[in-house]
Amino acid sequence: MSDAVMPVATKMLDFAIDGVAMQAEDGQTVIQAARANGVDIPHFCWHPQLSVPGNCRICMVEIEQESGDPWFDIACNMPVTAGMRVLTNSEMIKTLRKDTMQFITLNHPVDCGICNKSGECMLQDYHYELNGAASLSRDPKTHATKFFPLSDRIMLDNERCIMCTLCVRFTNEVSGSKALGAVNRGDHALIRPAEDADFNLDVYSDNVIDLCPVGALLSTELLDHARVWYLDATKSVCPGCERGCSIDVWHRKHEWKLNALDPRLNTRIDRVTPHENPEVNGLWVCNKARDLAHLFERPRAEQAMQRGVAVELAVATTTAAQLISAARRPVAIVSSWGSNEELSAFHTAFGAKVPAFVKADHLPLPGEVIEDHLLIKPDKNPNRKAALALYPALPERVSDALPADTDVVLVWGEGFDSALIPLGAKVIRLNSYAHADNAGADVFIPVSAQTERSGHYTNFAGVVSAFEACFPVKPGIVHGEALFAALAIDVPAGLGA
Amino acid sequence: MTGLVQRLIPEFEVWKRRYPAGFDGSLSIPALRRIQEERGYIADEDIADLTAYLGVPRTQIDEVVAFYTQFTRVPLGKHHIQVCHNVSCSMRGAEGLVKHLSARLGIKPGETTTDRQFTLTTVECLASCGTAPMMMVGDAFFENLTPSSVDALLTELKGSAS
Amino acid sequence: MSAVATELSGTKFFMNFPVTDTSHTLAEYRTRFGYQALEKALREMSPTDVTKEVAAAGLLGHGGAAFPAGRKWGVVKLGDGEPHYVCMNADEGEPGTFKDRWLMECVPHMALEGLIIGSYALQGRHAFIYIRGEFDLAYRRMAEAIEEAYAAGLLGENILGTSYSLDVVLYRGAGSYVCGEASAMLASLEGKKGWPRNRPPRLTVKGLYQKPTVVNNVETLANVPVILRLGAAEFKKVGTPKSPGTQMISISGHIARPGVYEVEYGYLWTKFIYEDCGGMQNGKALKCIIPGGVSTKILNASEIEGVTLDHNSAVAAGSQLGSGGMMAVAEGTCMVRLAQVIQRFYHHESCGQCTPCREGMGWMERILNRIVAGGGRPEDIDRLYQISQANDGTTICSLGDSAGYACSAILDHYREEFAYYITNGRSMYDGNLTVDDPFASALVEAMV
Repeated sequence: MSDAVMPVATKMLDFAIDGVAMQAEDGQTVIQAARANGVDIPHFCWHPQLSVPGNCRICMVEIEQESGDPWFDIACNMPVTAGMRVLTNSEMIKTLRKDTMQFITLNHPVDCGICNKSGECMLQDYHYELNGAASLSRDPKTHATKFFPLSDRIMLDNERCIMCTLCVRFTNEVSGSKALGAVNRGDHALIRPAEDADFNLDVYSDNVIDLCPVGALLSTELLDHARVWYLDATKSVCPGCERGCSIDVWHRKHEWKLNALDPRLNTRIDRVTPHENPEVNGLWVCNKARDLAHLFERPRAEQAMQRGVAVELAVATTTAAQLISAARRPVAIVSSWGSNEELSAFHTAFGAKVPAFVKADHLPLPGEVIEDHLLIKPDKNPNRKAALALYPALPERVSDALPADTDVVLVWGEGFDSALIPLGAKVIRLNSYAHADNAGADVFIPVSAQTERSGHYTNFAGVVSAFEACFPVKPGIVHGEALFAALAIDVPAGLGA
Repeated sequence: MTGLVQRLIPEFEVWKRRYPAGFDGSLSIPALRRIQEERGYIADEDIADLTAYLGVPRTQIDEVVAFYTQFTRVPLGKHHIQVCHNVSCSMRGAEGLVKHLSARLGIKPGETTTDRQFTLTTVECLASCGTAPMMMVGDAFFENLTPSSVDALLTELKGSAS
Repeated sequence: MSAVATELSGTKFFMNFPVTDTSHTLAEYRTRFGYQALEKALREMSPTDVTKEVAAAGLLGHGGAAFPAGRKWGVVKLGDGEPHYVCMNADEGEPGTFKDRWLMECVPHMALEGLIIGSYALQGRHAFIYIRGEFDLAYRRMAEAIEEAYAAGLLGENILGTSYSLDVVLYRGAGSYVCGEASAMLASLEGKKGWPRNRPPRLTVKGLYQKPTVVNNVETLANVPVILRLGAAEFKKVGTPKSPGTQMISISGHIARPGVYEVEYGYLWTKFIYEDCGGMQNGKALKCIIPGGVSTKILNASEIEGVTLDHNSAVAAGSQLGSGGMMAVAEGTCMVRLAQVIQRFYHHESCGQCTPCREGMGWMERILNRIVAGGGRPEDIDRLYQISQANDGTTICSLGDSAGYACSAILDHYREEFAYYITNGRSMYDGNLTVDDPFASALVEAMV
């Protein structure tokens, strides 16, 4: 990761971009130094964390020469030298960029009207910024494969592809699957998956969709699903494992709320993309994060119940509070999906008065990658680290935590089988999702899901990341923090001891 | 690995001795040439086996096979006729030569005769410009071609084909 | 193929013996000073001495760019703890060029000796010969020469009993013009597709396997034994001060006596064409010359008047000697069709990596095809110029630039032919590229 690794004692070089004096670290290329100084030089194929092929040629800059002779080169591969005077917008450079944009769009279908990338396409942006003219070509465009399935998840449109090779380099240099290559020559060159490799097995594959500067690589799930200008991103944290990658959860903008169509579309997760966070995940996330919609949009628990009978939320809360205050030997099973705020509220409410144990709400699914070289960590829960700072882990032999005379058990979150609870103990369950055990509890209280609340998770390395609410919480569902405050009745000291 | 590549590995191992150690990937092009020499084309199993033998990513071999014009993934005719139609050869009659061959063989460039005896291809400069027009049949160069020399050669090749 | 003309006056380093069925062998090479230069280098000279001698001789690269070979070698730092590689560029693919093929078929040991000496100068343990895949006899001759050299102790461990050891790999390409470009060649030697790469870093810093590498053309290396044998001072007496030595010129096209000639730099161009090569086919007038492979700018008949065959003169005349692949075009040839054939070649060979070339080559060919098919548009000429200009200096390797130079030079000289074709939908001439088409009658017969 070239951006991060710089020599410790770096020599600084004075140089200038468009007449503005700046400094560059010795060894930086013009594009890197420009970026570090807040100047964005147009680029398609360059990426701060991938190798530099210099193939798109749009980052061409002019270097002012004493001799006055024109000299230009690509900013992505040219090291800054002391005293260098870079021009990013000279007449010569403007002409070269116009020409390059003509070339790039020459065989591109320019089918923005039906392209999912429209609205966030670098080719569109640069066309208006750097060229703006119609194609000069009067000859038929070359044709290539459309709707080529790169995997079950990704569709490749070779006609839209501009051969920047970002996707190829990503699989070679980051994900390591080496599953993509470039075959053939000239304007027949094509991105292709390795003939034996299954790009489905690359658990980071969807990053190439974000990397693609044009509409060549698209998520099959998102294809014709939403136009990006109707969408908003909310910063969140992936709960898929203890890495806690920073993500953006995309959903429909409130101002574009649908009234006539299915209103559920207003609270749908349209896609998940990485949110750059150098401390945690850099620029990437794994496909599990991309699929969070499936996790978050499971059937919800929306109704408070007492032994399966629907009751008002307030009634259930009161019953639960009474059960806890009356208990002689209560035990709490704490969620490892609770936010730092919820854990803190829980701890304030019950403190040491209720013995509590931290469980794993989620275990690895069959076939799921347990751990890898890049991001994936073995614990598939986002906040066990913070929970374990307050309470011990649930022992392997659960009965050690739940002695036979336990009379009230509070189960918070998923992943705890009611069969483990001693017969005769009253059960209070808090869950966001529908589950058969919910109705079996003496008291069931539906709590908000991650997408409906804000908070923080502490990842395996102790890095705290914030997530925001994407959607409003429905009536009848309570936030954990509020609920724990309500349950925090004055428990007689020593009761649980 | 049981097929052709397995059989050729002893040869590849001999080649390796002259290469600097640790760069087995370099053998991909020579090995593919050797495979094609044996089989006439490069089969899927050859690519899979070679990938395994050289320890390179499959994409490297896929890319190589698709990039270099001499490699073919499909069987060609017994005699592969490649006519240079670059500048010097065109100035000396290559365009007529191609038409002549097409007429004699009943196929267009890029095609193979139905009896699978001949494949006709046009290629760019084969560095035989001083003896144009010319063509390659298999590995051999045939230069300073005339209608009669081409016809004589075709007759000879057809004879050898049967 | 045999040596064509030896009657051409001037010094000859290569074409100075009668070519026979055995003249390429080690035994016969030894009767022509073979491997004496290697003996001298290994026994009497330090590696640095060798580089200094080659630099002092002013040897210029013979692959096309005419970069001083000694200077290229001098960049590589001896004793830096890194392996160094010397690669012989025998991927002769520049249309119109076939002199390296002659050198490899007729004097394979000469270039090989140069490669061994060069590797010694750079203290390489492994060297490579990248030969184009389509070559057959040249490949076999080169392979035979290498085996003879191994058997004679001229390659392998402890060459000639000295402490110097070298292995040489003869590496056959598989059909790609762009692999003649040094960085693409190294990618190919690594067993990959031949995509050139950007500089920096230079290949002499990071080349083959990311190690310092020098790539020299066959003819360049074949000159090295000559330089060591004669000494730089004697060598420099041949040719011109700025282009010392000789140039192997391969001439083809509408020329009466096509073939390979060895010409001392400074030789009068018109004398070469009209006397040594016998003028044009069928006594036609010379229209223009492509001086050094299709990638060099054409010069018309008057532009070569008084010009001598050396790099400075060729540049002053508006072109380059390039790879020495000269093509003579006779009066009456349709330049639109010629440009079409040239552009078809560049389009076919563009590697597809960088934007201007990947898109521009096909665009130019499509425009030319349309003009030839009678569908030319008035703006086509400007468009061809613009695409050429947009490839000038903007691409990773020089393929795109070269196509642009070739096309714009033809347009500069023969714009009226393009205008005529566009306006009238047909060639100003008969549209043929031949002067004397051996297949003309056969075609009539085929059509009947």
